[in-house]
Amino acid sequence: MTAINSKLSTGKKDVSLFLQKLWEPFSVSPMLGWLIGVLIAVLLEYTVGLYVARMLGLPKIPVLFGVLIMLETPILFPSAVLYVLIIFIIPIALIARFTAPLTNTLAGKLIDVQPWLAVLVHLGLFYAALHLWAEINDYRVLVVRLTLISIILTLSLNVVNGYMGEFSCSHPGFMALGAYGASVFTLFLFVDDRTFGEALLPAQLGFLMFPLGLVFGGAIAALGALIIAIPSFRTRGDYLAIISLAFMFIVKSLIENLEFVGGPRGLGGQPDWANLPTVFAWTVICIWVTNNFVKSTFGKALNAVRDDEVAADAMTVNTRQTKMVAFLFAAFWAGVAGGLFAHVLRYVNPGSFGLQKLAEILAMLYFGGLNSVVGSIVGAVSFNLVSEALRPLEILKWIIIPVIFILVMIFRPTGLIAFTELNVINIIRPKNKAAVPQNVEVSQ
Amino acid sequence: MTILRVEHMTHYFGGLRAVNNYNLTVDPGQIRGLIGPNGAGKSTVFNLITGLYTPTEGTILLDGEDIVGRPPYQIADMGLGRTFQNLQLWRHMTVLEHVKMARYSKITYGLVGAFFATPRRVREEAEIKAKAYSLLELVGVGHLAEQNVTNLPYGALRRVEMARALATEPKILFLDEPTAGMNPEELVQMMEIIRKVHRELNLAIFLIEHRMKFVMELCDIVQTLVFGEVIAEGPPDYIQNDPQVIEAYLGTEVET
Amino acid sequence: MEFFLQNVVNALQWGSFYALIALGYSMVYGVLLLFNFAHGDIFMVGAYVGFFVATGLLLLVSSLGLVSMPGWVVLVLVILVAMFITAFVGVAVERIGYRPLRQAPRASAAITGLMIGIIFETGNLALLGARRLSFPELIETTTYTIGGVTVTNKRIMIVAVSLLLMFALHQFVQRTKWGMAMRAMAYDFAVVPLMGVPLNSIAALTFGLGSALAAAAGILFGVAYPVLSPYMGIVVGWKAFVAAILGGRGSILGAALAGFLLGFIEIFVATIFPSTLRDLIAFSIILLILVFRPHGFFGEAHTSRLRL
Repeated sequence: MTAINSKLSTGKKDVSLFLQKLWEPFSVSPMLGWLIGVLIAVLLEYTVGLYVARMLGLPKIPVLFGVLIMLETPILFPSAVLYVLIIFIIPIALIARFTAPLTNTLAGKLIDVQPWLAVLVHLGLFYAALHLWAEINDYRVLVVRLTLISIILTLSLNVVNGYMGEFSCSHPGFMALGAYGASVFTLFLFVDDRTFGEALLPAQLGFLMFPLGLVFGGAIAALGALIIAIPSFRTRGDYLAIISLAFMFIVKSLIENLEFVGGPRGLGGQPDWANLPTVFAWTVICIWVTNNFVKSTFGKALNAVRDDEVAADAMTVNTRQTKMVAFLFAAFWAGVAGGLFAHVLRYVNPGSFGLQKLAEILAMLYFGGLNSVVGSIVGAVSFNLVSEALRPLEILKWIIIPVIFILVMIFRPTGLIAFTELNVINIIRPKNKAAVPQNVEVSQ
Repeated sequence: MTILRVEHMTHYFGGLRAVNNYNLTVDPGQIRGLIGPNGAGKSTVFNLITGLYTPTEGTILLDGEDIVGRPPYQIADMGLGRTFQNLQLWRHMTVLEHVKMARYSKITYGLVGAFFATPRRVREEAEIKAKAYSLLELVGVGHLAEQNVTNLPYGALRRVEMARALATEPKILFLDEPTAGMNPEELVQMMEIIRKVHRELNLAIFLIEHRMKFVMELCDIVQTLVFGEVIAEGPPDYIQNDPQVIEAYLGTEVET
Repeated sequence: MEFFLQNVVNALQWGSFYALIALGYSMVYGVLLLFNFAHGDIFMVGAYVGFFVATGLLLLVSSLGLVSMPGWVVLVLVILVAMFITAFVGVAVERIGYRPLRQAPRASAAITGLMIGIIFETGNLALLGARRLSFPELIETTTYTIGGVTVTNKRIMIVAVSLLLMFALHQFVQRTKWGMAMRAMAYDFAVVPLMGVPLNSIAALTFGLGSALAAAAGILFGVAYPVLSPYMGIVVGWKAFVAAILGGRGSILGAALAGFLLGFIEIFVATIFPSTLRDLIAFSIILLILVFRPHGFFGEAHTSRLRL
């Protein structure tokens, strides 16, 4: 037994040693280099992708790096792997490695000039790559937009369930309020439709006013959150969880009974304003604001309330204000996510904001990790990707995903990446030995 | 000029009278002690004054202002800092974050600053950080600032709690059994720290303590609480020789 | 008055399901301080196990030519056998989803529970397909009319069996050594293992008992509403969970009463208002109760926080 164990552990050691060796040459590449590599790889796919795919005997460009092909027609799998190697892995690795001296200097200079400028450049590069990659087909655009919306949802739930340690089940409710709020806003003002009659304002104005519509939806969700926030002054834990669960059911059945928004049939015809740049911009803003918030002393007060409320109170922390801010903040962003969701699918019905949505959001949050911005991003992205990748398995998908979650919970009960802070500068700083001082801080 | 004045404070838990007609005045720079056997109501007195419970009767004036019925965070903000009998720290936060947290009510950047990282917020957070470091240095745990509290030994945690209480800028500091669970060496160090804090910040201090030696060396005036009532009040040597005190307290539980 | 009594009868039946399921939630909470979120789906599993046992038994009876076996005997047998089998499903859930997470944050265990529930639902769908099974008619419906109130023999049977099971559970918890250990555990989680009572056995027992009750509820549900579906446990389960909280966590009597209360609220709301408003009003009442009586009816007033 012990022999097997030790064999296993040496095997594990060998693998990790091998990976370490493999990674070593790339450890000097800064984020800038990787992003440039990705951008070029995506350009490569954009220009010659179809040609390469045909040459390898693939009917079309593999939409999700070949994982769908692997399950649909396993015989094409080697071709898909080759495709990914030729188009993505090799070009990215080469560029990241050989431009390292150049990109390191460049990254250092950028940070020296203005940290926020450096962040913007990286974001711009990342977005360019993402956009080009998604352009290839509509399916990718949809998956990317829904994934970004999941990030907003997970992050906002993390504020309450992770940072403040409550178990709130009301997020689908907030999302529904935001979705319907924003939809009513756009449909009422800018669209001729059967439910609300003629548009009051020209549709051209609409797209510019769309952020206002999302904020409106978020504000309605935040208003709804008062119903949870006020009881949270006196109640914690399980009872608050039930109050929030009841809230979710109430919102759902309230909308089902409101005929002017379509009742159980739902509400459709939202204009297609939640395009990729819009959703991306809102996601970036959400990550930025949330990260600022949780790093500030106001945000740390959430942790203090979670870990010892009496001590927080005795240290001048206004606990009621803290809880109120957390709930309204989370609800606002869930509402924004709901508004985007409604305008991506261009149709919502109350049925989409029920227990299944709740299970999904909770799963993303606890999978990624509590009390961590990075964790939420990782959780949302991996959940969406795995869920898309397993789509060919149809029903079995909903057995495999739960099994994965149970395993993660057993081996990492607080999620993959819990209790870590997101330090943007640390990610984009040059990685060579003569790196700039590490404690340059963009947002303290 | 008194900092804290408690008059005729009485408190009932259900039908049980936990504190009866309690009076206290603390002047600036004074160190006052509260002793008494277990279950005498010492911690209740603390919790009543700090606002965790609202007394059934009585007035409490902090720096001339009535604080009865106010929430604890307001009382703390008005200048009453405290530590806890059983360490009450936030288990997922670093030492530095603990001390910064106690500046909560003094922050002026508001939610706009919290959400958007305004220059004012960056500046203010840096100021708080510097202040926190100086307090940590004062109690001698500056080198532990970046550590998570769950990694630290007991004695250090007591100091962190002290620094945290000091960060609220108290006019009067409440210490609830500051040496509970300490060995003799740590006890001497804690006594030094209390003296130092008292001297450098010119604080008034009100402390609950079990160890007579500690109380006798530090306090100007000591009260003895038995069954919720003060049975004796005076300078340490007077208390030490009061027959009532000896009978009720020292006679049963001598600790040195 | 007749109208009122008629609804009382309906509500008693409806509440029986909630009460039986809520007991499972409450017992597990009492012992482990966490909720078994797969419990609603165990109710579903119980109904299906009941279905298969019943079909198998009927087949056996007819093939052996024992036509004389009365329907109620078959039903009692089905209930007992299905309870027994489902108890092991509950024990397995505890072993796989909860025992490895004994030291983990409570929220993580909640997630595993949810996931096990999803596995049950999908597994059922994958194995049996989307066709809807219909619970065999074991006893013929007889309708009695007493003073204008209509009662069927099934209804009486459902309420009677539920009350009987609750009484049996009460006796078990009050009278036996194991029941005493369960109560002790609910009283002080930390002390009991020190007294030589094995925590794991008690946890398994609790899950088993709760699941057995859920299985009984599932079969009774199948008798009343014969169409079975893989998702039948979700809404009923969550509502029973709400009842468990309303009754005060860990309180067995409270959970049973709150189950009936929830049944009454739903039935009366549905008869007075349009049925689409049922959830809206029922949950609004629950929300108000929890806001003004934040610790349920029988729970002690201590706030718990999630262990992180």
